[in-house]
Amino acid sequence: MKRLQLQRWSGSVLSAQARTGGRLQQRLYYAIRHQSTASPAAPAGNDQLVKKQPQAPSISSPHSQKSRYRLPSPPVEAARESAKLAALHARLYLPSRLPLETLARSLVHPSADPNPNFNNESLATLGHDLLTYYASEHLICSYPRLPLTVIFAAMYAYVGPKTLAAMAREWGVESVAAPGGEVDPGYLQFQRLAPGTDVNPETITGTERPHDDEPTWRKSVTSRVVYDNEYGDPVKGPVDPSELAERDAQTSQGVTVEEANASFVSAVMGSIYLHAGRPAAKRFFEQHFLSRHLNISDLFNFSQPARDLARLCARENFEAPVARIVSETGRKSRSPVFVVGIYSGQDKLGEGAGASLLEAHFRAAVAALKGWYLYNPLDVRVPSSMEEEGAAPWKPVHVDLGEVIV
Amino acid sequence: MRPSLRLLNLEVPSLQGPRALYVCSGCRQEARPRPIVARQFLRHASNADSLSERVRRKIWGTDNPPGVEDPYGGQGALERKFKNQQAQKQEQAPEPAPVEDLPLVDDSYEPATTWKGLERIGHLDRWNDAPRTEVDTYESFSLKKKIYKKGPLNLAAHQTAVEICMMHALDKPLLSICSVAEHEKPVFKMIWKCKIQPNGTWDKALEYPNQEAEKSLVYIFEQIGGQPAAPVAEEAAAEQTEEDTEALELVDFNEPVSQTPIAPFFGYQDARDPGCLTLPLTDADTKFAFLKRFSQLTGHYFPDPVIHQISTVQQAVAYVQGELKPKPKKLAEHLAENEGLQGMPNVKIFGKRRTTLHKDDEMGRKKIIEAELRARGLL
Repeated sequence: MKRLQLQRWSGSVLSAQARTGGRLQQRLYYAIRHQSTASPAAPAGNDQLVKKQPQAPSISSPHSQKSRYRLPSPPVEAARESAKLAALHARLYLPSRLPLETLARSLVHPSADPNPNFNNESLATLGHDLLTYYASEHLICSYPRLPLTVIFAAMYAYVGPKTLAAMAREWGVESVAAPGGEVDPGYLQFQRLAPGTDVNPETITGTERPHDDEPTWRKSVTSRVVYDNEYGDPVKGPVDPSELAERDAQTSQGVTVEEANASFVSAVMGSIYLHAGRPAAKRFFEQHFLSRHLNISDLFNFSQPARDLARLCARENFEAPVARIVSETGRKSRSPVFVVGIYSGQDKLGEGAGASLLEAHFRAAVAALKGWYLYNPLDVRVPSSMEEEGAAPWKPVHVDLGEVIV
Repeated sequence: MRPSLRLLNLEVPSLQGPRALYVCSGCRQEARPRPIVARQFLRHASNADSLSERVRRKIWGTDNPPGVEDPYGGQGALERKFKNQQAQKQEQAPEPAPVEDLPLVDDSYEPATTWKGLERIGHLDRWNDAPRTEVDTYESFSLKKKIYKKGPLNLAAHQTAVEICMMHALDKPLLSICSVAEHEKPVFKMIWKCKIQPNGTWDKALEYPNQEAEKSLVYIFEQIGGQPAAPVAEEAAAEQTEEDTEALELVDFNEPVSQTPIAPFFGYQDARDPGCLTLPLTDADTKFAFLKRFSQLTGHYFPDPVIHQISTVQQAVAYVQGELKPKPKKLAEHLAENEGLQGMPNVKIFGKRRTTLHKDDEMGRKKIIEAELRARGLL
C-alpha cells in the first residue's frame, strides 16, 4: 500500500486552494462567494450588529477590538491569546505539532462562519471519514460475524453524533451564545437553532434510494449499506452545486448543539491526522474512542431466536438444534427455575435459565446465537495497521457470511 | 404561655413527687438564669398568694400549712446580701437636706404653642444670599498640587533649610516662617544662591553668596513673625518702623500670595547646592518646623510614624521621592510580573475584575443584549 504524503495533502486541505474529494468538492463551486470574511452571504439572522454596520470591503485592522465585531468568527491571531484554547489543548494532550490556530478553527462550525477557509467543515469531513473508517474496521475485524444491524448500532455508539457530543462535553468544551469575531476562540461557535424548531423531522426525503417517497415499502438491511449512511440512517443525496445556496441558507438557520459538538470532535481528529500524522490519529482514536466500553451483546434484538438458530444450523450444516432441560427446581412452586440447554448433536450451543420452559428455551437460543455472532478472534489485525513502518505481510482476516436471513 | 411559666408548672410536681414529667436539661438551663427581680416576681408575686403558698395550702388542706413558709429555702444568699447592702446604704446615707424651693419657675411663664411672636435666633437673613466674606474663603495650607519631580523637591528642601537656618541664626520662632507662603523672585534668588555647609549645625551652616545678600536676607527675615525685642529698643525707631512697614508692604513678601505663579520656584529647575541634605533633624522643634515648611512647599503629607523615623533632611526628601515609585499594590500587578505565570498559555491575568459583562462579551451574548436594548429604545 502506498503511503500518503501527509504534509502536502494537509496543505491542500488547509489552504482550500485545490480541494478534492466528495463533500469537499461540493464546496469548490461555491467557495468563491465566501472569499471575503465580511461575506455578503453572512446569515440573515446571524447578528443584528452586522446588519446595522456598513459592510467593510476588507478587514483593514483585524487587531482592533471594535472591528472584531464585524467578523463572523474570531481572527486567527486571537487563538494565541485565549487561555481557554490553550487549556483545552493541554487537557486533550494533543500533540504539540497541532497548533492552537487549527484547534481554534476546528471549533468554528460552518453555521457560524460560512467561509470554508475559517470553518471546520473540511477538517470535520476528514475526521468523520477517519473515525468511521477506524471504527468500522475495528468492528468488522474483531467481530466478523456481527449482523449488519448490530454493526450499525455499534458504529453509532462508537462514533455517532450523540457520542461525539457527549465526548465534547466531557472534554469541557463550552458553546457560545452567538458566534462573532469578539468571542473567545476557546468556545465552540455555531449558530443556534431558533427555539421551537423541529429537530427531528419524521421522514427524510431526497435520498439516493429509489422510491424513497414510499414510506410503506420494505427497506432491506443490505440496501442500507448502499444508500444510507454508516449508521444505517437515511441520508440526503449529493446536492447539485446550484442548489447549494439553498442548503447553506438552511444551515444558517442554525444547528443543534449535538451536531456542532460532533463536528468539533471530528475536526479535532482530522486536524490531528493532518498535523501529527496517522499514528497520532490512530492513537487518539484508540485512547478516546475505543477506550469507551461498549457492550455489544446488549445491542442484539431477537424476535424469534429459536427459528434463527435452526436456520443458522441448517446453513452451517450442523445438526438441528434440540432443546433439553438441564435442570429444574420448584416446578410446582411459585417461582420455578428451569435451565434449558440447546444441543446440536453432542455439542451444547447455549444454555439459559428462566421461570418457565418457554423463557428458558428463548434465553438458551439467544445465548447460542450470541455465542455464534460474538465470535471474537485473537490477535486481530486491522487493514490500517498495514500503513505502519515494517508491517508484516497482510493475512486476510476472517469475515463471516453474516447474519441468517430468514 | 411563656416558656418560663410552663417550665415552672412542670417543675413543681417533679420536685414533690416522682419525676413523671421530664424537662430536658436545655430547657431547664434556659429557664434558670432569671434575674433576681423576675424570680422574686414569680415566686413571691405576693406573699399572701404566691404559687408555692397556694400549693402548700392545697397539699395540707388548711389555710395555715405547717412547716417553713418557703419550702424552697427562702431567699438565696445573693438576695440576702443584696438586701443587707441596701439596708446598710439606707442607714448610712445622710438624709438629704430639705432644699428650699427656688423661684426657678416664673409664674408668668406660658409655654409657647406656636412659633409666632418668639424671639428669632441665628442669621436673620438668608445666609445663602449673603456675599462671601473673608471667613468663608478657604485656603489650603499646603500646595494644591503635589510636587513630584526631583529638581523642585530639592529646591524646596534647600529653601526650607535656608529659611530654618536663618530663623535659627536670627533666634526667631521657627514656625513663623510658615506664614510666608511664597517669596518674591529676588528674595528667592538670593535664597537659591545661598549655600549650606555639609554636616553643619543649623545655626551656623548657612553661607551667603555675598555681604549684600546677607544684609538684605537678614533684613527681610527680621520682619517675619513680629519684631524682635532687642532692636526696637531705640526710641527714634518709631518713624523708621512705619517706613519699614511701608517697605514691607512694597516688598509684599509677608502676605500669602493668592494668585498662583506660572511655574513653581520661578522656573528654577534644581537646587545649586546639595549641602542641605546632610543637615540633621534630631532636634524635635527643628524637625517639626522643617517638615511643616517642607510639606507646605511640596504639598506632601508626613504621617507620624514617618516623622518619627526621619532623622536627616536626606531622609525626608527620600521619603517624598519614594512616593514616586510606589510598590505595586494590586494583586494583578504582582501576578503580571510573575514570570512563571507569564509562561503559561492557559493563564490569563486581567488588570480588572471580570464581570458578567466580560463573560457576555466573550460568549457573544453582549451584542445580542445590546441589539435588543437598542430595538426597545433603552440604550
